[in-house]
Amino acid sequence: MLQQSAGSNQKRHGLAAAEARQLCERVLKFSRAENARVNVSSGITGSTRTAANRVTTSGITDDITVQITSAFGKRAASTDTNRLDDASLERAVRQSEELARISPENPEYLPEFGPQTYTAVDGYYDSTGNLTTESRAQAATLGIKAANAARAVASGYIEVQAGSVAIATSKGLFGHFYRTGTSSTLTVRTSDGLSSGWAGAQAADWKNVDSERIADDAVRKCQEWRGKTALEPGKYLAVLEPVAAGMLIGLLRGAFDARSADEGRSFFSKPGGGNRISEKLFDSRVTLVSDPAEKNAEAAPFNNGGLPIGREVWVQNGELKALAYSRFWAQKQSVAPRSAPNNLKMSGGDASLEEMIKSVNRGILITRFFYIRSTNPRTIAYTGVTRDGTFLIENGRVTRPVNNFRFNQSITEMLSNIQALGRPMRVAGEDGTVGAGLIVPPILVRDFNLTSVSDAV
Amino acid sequence: MRDREKTNAIGRREFVRLAGLASAGVAVTPAGGLEPLLALQQSSAPGPDAGEKELVLRAIDAAKSAGAAYADARITRLTSEFVSTREQQLTGVNRGERYGIGIRALVGGSWGFAATRDLTNDAVTRTAREAVAIGAANDKVNPVKTPLAPVKKVADGRWITPHEVDPFTVSAEQKADLLFKTNASALRVKGVQFVSSSVSSVKESKLLATTDGSLIQQTFLRMLANVDVTAVSGDNSDSQTRNASIPPMGRGWEYVVGLDMPESASRWAEEAVLKLSAPKVEPGLWDLVLHPSHLWLTIHESIGHSTELDRARGYEANYAGTTFVGPPEKALNNLRFGKELMNVNGNRTEPGALATVGWDDEAVPGRSWRIIDKGLFVNYQTTRELVGWISDLTHDRESHGCAYAEGWWAIPFPRMPNVSLMPNSKDVSEEEVIAETKHGIFIEGDGSYSIDQQRYNFQFGGQAFWEIKDGKRFRMLRDVAYQSRTLDFWNSMALVGGQKTYALGGTFSDGKGQPSQSSSVSHGCPVALFRNINVLRTA
Repeated sequence: MLQQSAGSNQKRHGLAAAEARQLCERVLKFSRAENARVNVSSGITGSTRTAANRVTTSGITDDITVQITSAFGKRAASTDTNRLDDASLERAVRQSEELARISPENPEYLPEFGPQTYTAVDGYYDSTGNLTTESRAQAATLGIKAANAARAVASGYIEVQAGSVAIATSKGLFGHFYRTGTSSTLTVRTSDGLSSGWAGAQAADWKNVDSERIADDAVRKCQEWRGKTALEPGKYLAVLEPVAAGMLIGLLRGAFDARSADEGRSFFSKPGGGNRISEKLFDSRVTLVSDPAEKNAEAAPFNNGGLPIGREVWVQNGELKALAYSRFWAQKQSVAPRSAPNNLKMSGGDASLEEMIKSVNRGILITRFFYIRSTNPRTIAYTGVTRDGTFLIENGRVTRPVNNFRFNQSITEMLSNIQALGRPMRVAGEDGTVGAGLIVPPILVRDFNLTSVSDAV
Repeated sequence: MRDREKTNAIGRREFVRLAGLASAGVAVTPAGGLEPLLALQQSSAPGPDAGEKELVLRAIDAAKSAGAAYADARITRLTSEFVSTREQQLTGVNRGERYGIGIRALVGGSWGFAATRDLTNDAVTRTAREAVAIGAANDKVNPVKTPLAPVKKVADGRWITPHEVDPFTVSAEQKADLLFKTNASALRVKGVQFVSSSVSSVKESKLLATTDGSLIQQTFLRMLANVDVTAVSGDNSDSQTRNASIPPMGRGWEYVVGLDMPESASRWAEEAVLKLSAPKVEPGLWDLVLHPSHLWLTIHESIGHSTELDRARGYEANYAGTTFVGPPEKALNNLRFGKELMNVNGNRTEPGALATVGWDDEAVPGRSWRIIDKGLFVNYQTTRELVGWISDLTHDRESHGCAYAEGWWAIPFPRMPNVSLMPNSKDVSEEEVIAETKHGIFIEGDGSYSIDQQRYNFQFGGQAFWEIKDGKRFRMLRDVAYQSRTLDFWNSMALVGGQKTYALGGTFSDGKGQPSQSSSVSHGCPVALFRNINVLRTA
């Protein structure tokens, strides 16, 4: 299943367009349904994990998943399989048809798409796709060496994904998208367990992951946070480093939904009925855009049902410009369907993190968060804790490391309390696995609500 | 209120059925009353498929010839089905199957892992060699030692989840029908606008071969039903959801039928409506009476995760975190978790619980052991790689059997067993526990949950909150969350209910590791009373 990629002697992981099309045609040939769709996902996931200054686990998995959706009238069902021989594929098609026939009618069902025009996007970087176990081990060893030199302990994770997704329908639709992704994260702790620092990066292109910078930053954070001092909880002016900001901003992706707003159960519901599109809801500097062609954070130009995805502006200068509409809801509301965002980019300003800190009279610097969970969907409020480097800023300087905190904070309120934005960058996620691209700036925010102390290191 | 009493009665009937299978909830000793049951299941459990057996043996042979000191191979076939509805519409029917082989090899002291969906002789051999090559590459860059604890060889192990009805013999139509009836019942309650519901069924066949000579075929069944009822205020300015918090179980379709969801749905609906007009909680110190449908999650986060030995060793530092329960030489037999009434077992044996197995992913038999004894921390959760680290302190030479991989594509690593809080030996009822507080909140169902990376500071919400005034349930409250520190919280536990209040709660999706893997786990507990806990208002 390996394929030469254009302009390169290296082979790409995952099915090439022609191979995917052939597989989809084999599946659709078995179909007897009025409407049928095939979604194919293929490729590899490779990983290297370190802890206690050693490699603890490392591996590679290759898989191909075929999902078949069959419909008769408004009765629809789907099956997934990873068996690709004719007999297994036919069995999976028959099974989806049998499930569909005995399923109740779905009044919201809409027939599959015919051919669509998708933005041409190639999200596959050979630097990532061709990364070897040895290269990952060497990158991981940089973290171990840096920690050893500082008499500290490294725990890290490097993940690589490379492959493709494809879609085809019995109405003649076909789409294919190649992508790679990599995430490298590192936690360095002192051997007495009293301090911890973290650094990381996420990218489509491995060349954008600077393993030495990650090793140095994690060690430096760990050293700077050593000797944490007590600080009371309260509402603070806070500098959120890009990864911390990203953990909160990324939560909005699922919230931009028209139906739940129109149904009166979302922050974006308008009292009395309807939704709040075209209302100014946030600070004027808040602009949120998704774009499949975003460099180093490319995303599929179609969703699972084949709906084309282009560049979408969700919030512009604080004003809600759009919400996602499923095909059914769009038809019902007589608007164009729009897929929920995959990647997301928040615009920023020119300030560097250092300049941002300089502007703070008294505030908190937050490296990253952990265990973020919803407490109130109406205000998009969440709780979670800070970790791996929390500091007090006084008179424009970081003056001392302080204890971690639990926060209880509405994201929408935070977007109204913005004081400054820095330069956006693609950030790693909480669990260190490769996710959809999230590009965010460091954020200086007023009244960030730290509600209790966390003793954790 | 009437509906609620009925539901309780059903809950108890269910419990008695569970308890009838074995001594659920009582301190199950390692050689407890389960062996006759296991023997019975083993005799009727399916054995390995001949073709799969040949492949797993080929895999470990290939790994050994390529230089592995130890290797294991797992062929798993994970069949899952998800039927979901909202109001009277079907929103999805999906059936999935993931089938393949994962091979783990120890080279020098380094692990290598490779997995493929391609179950041909050549691909399996190639994948085994790749696992060895990955282990070798890592061992070259970073040579280490990895001793494994001894384990008895199991030449022909067989196990299957005890069940009456295989959920895959029940049609999607029947499942949707039950969900529609549930939704209709909720929608009959005035003020309810939306209901979504679903049933997930999982069947996992797992064949394990190890270079120690074990060959084990196990089949696991898991069921999860979910219902969310939403009421929206007249002007759309507020909406409240009551999630049913139905415990998932390692059982068959008979479990879901026995829940009588259409009957219970009217109570969930009434509570969703009640939430809209309920008074907001007054923040401050309250006594809490926590129902098992809520307390299981607090146990999971604060005891389950804090007593994982890999966390104490720093293996999860980069994501899930470490633990305050350490280092072992200081914590074991020394750390006071709670008062004398607190006893906690780790087990992979409790009937109906999701982490119950015949053997773990390293061929270690399912066991039960004490983690907290009369309030004192006495043992961790271990695997073959980890147990040697504390053997001199606990005198345990063998693994507790906590190795688990979510499927063929994933590396086995230490995962949580069922971790359960033992009930009172006296027959203390829910009403008697409630009667012990003058100013309290009775919490049902799991809501929002968050805890820090060393498991000190946590905050939990719930689904239904009832003010207790002078020993009696008084009225519903809303927007309740409590925040505490693990040791403060467990040391404030003042009373636990008896075995009749004991029930299992659990999840299909406990995330841990990098890459993050999901595991299914249950926690049994009685209703319990906690004194003077800090309560927040979330809206």
